[in-house]
Amino acid sequence: MISVKNLKKSFGDNEVLKDISLDVSPQEVVVVIGPSGSGKSTFIRCLNMLETIDSGHVIIDGKDLTDKKTNINEVRTDVGMVFQHFNLFPHKTILENITLAPINVRGVKKAEAEEKARVLLAKVGLAEKASAYPDSLSGGQKQRVAIARALAMEPKVMLFDEPTSALDPEMVGEVLEVMKQLAKDGMTMIVVTHEMGFAREVGDRVIFMDNGYVVEQNEPKALFDAPQHERTKAFLSKVL
Amino acid sequence: MDFRFDIITDYMPFFLQGLKVTLGVSLAGVLAGLVLGLFIALGKMSTNRWVRLPFNIYINIFRGTPLLVQLLIIHFGIVPLFMSPSNPVISLVIGLSLNAAAYIAEIFRAGIQSIDKGQMEAARSLGMTRVQAMKLVILPQAFKRVIPPLGNEFIVLLKESSLGSVLAAPELMYWGRAAAGQYIRVWEPYLTVALIYLVLTLSLTYLMNYVERRLSTDDKR
Repeated sequence: MISVKNLKKSFGDNEVLKDISLDVSPQEVVVVIGPSGSGKSTFIRCLNMLETIDSGHVIIDGKDLTDKKTNINEVRTDVGMVFQHFNLFPHKTILENITLAPINVRGVKKAEAEEKARVLLAKVGLAEKASAYPDSLSGGQKQRVAIARALAMEPKVMLFDEPTSALDPEMVGEVLEVMKQLAKDGMTMIVVTHEMGFAREVGDRVIFMDNGYVVEQNEPKALFDAPQHERTKAFLSKVL
Repeated sequence: MDFRFDIITDYMPFFLQGLKVTLGVSLAGVLAGLVLGLFIALGKMSTNRWVRLPFNIYINIFRGTPLLVQLLIIHFGIVPLFMSPSNPVISLVIGLSLNAAAYIAEIFRAGIQSIDKGQMEAARSLGMTRVQAMKLVILPQAFKRVIPPLGNEFIVLLKESSLGSVLAAPELMYWGRAAAGQYIRVWEPYLTVALIYLVLTLSLTYLMNYVERRLSTDDKR
């Protein structure tokens, strides 16, 4: 589904990603953990070209993003993204937030898009908020809308960039619950998070990144209970 | 000091005529300036520096030289190349539009760049092109933020249209100067003209405040 080969990325003189390779199978849930500054956010942003790629390849569903002939907008319709700060469109209602891209990018009819949006809103438990504006929602509600908005494009992969890091603690659970359900439904997911409980419970595989490298990857149980590398051990001892 | 109201009543039909020209010229200048300004703002934000260059030069020239000089060059130098004799009202509209466009472009650019970059990222991550993201997500939000500075620009433009009197465009100030010349009086014509400008700019201020309030309640934000 996703294949990353020798990905490198620098910001100026600062090399943030130093040779990352990774394969993700369909329906797999990969959780990326690591200290801040390890490059995990940059990594996930490279997967839909929100960051340019210096060298290496990112192949999504058979399409190489680094190939100049690849239409990046088309690839992005298949890759849903959820941001730390939600990034809902404040001038649109919740329903319009969700239908905007399907109508304008996919060319779905308005009525059809709205019907679908209502189904998705019900799925994330916010059916009654359809005509509200984002500013009237709590952080947890905003993030659930953001997930519904990404799902409305019927993506093949979902990327989550620290989806609960900007939330008040009591709202983290409701967002993780939606993500769990999504994983159960068979969505391919890559999740950058500090929620170790989520990583252990939902992840098929956990990747530990540090200083621009993938240091270690394994099944959650093995990685959390018996880390192999010193840096993994040091990190886990601080967060667990 | 005797204040001769009869001068004002004598000239009132001309002042009203001039008022119409002032309003027309300002409105035309605002509209053309908005369209041109948006175009220049988008051009100046291009990622290609060679595309940006001409827009930068344009803005620097029109903001960096006096409007009076621009009007004189346009009226006596450029417009005569296309029409003869050159029409001062047309020259005035062209000058005001081109000048306002430079300022409006910077207002738009500031407004667009004040929108959180997460908005563009979210739009692009949903598969929108840059143009779609601009049109559907960024510009509608930026538009609301630029209303107050645009209001200022409209007021400036309205007042600067008085420079048209130098080109003998028959706007409000032109008739003020005509009255002053005919009667060799200062206070009556100039105070009247000033008062009319004041009424115009104050009305415009209220109008812009109203628009601002309307837009902010529309969104329940």
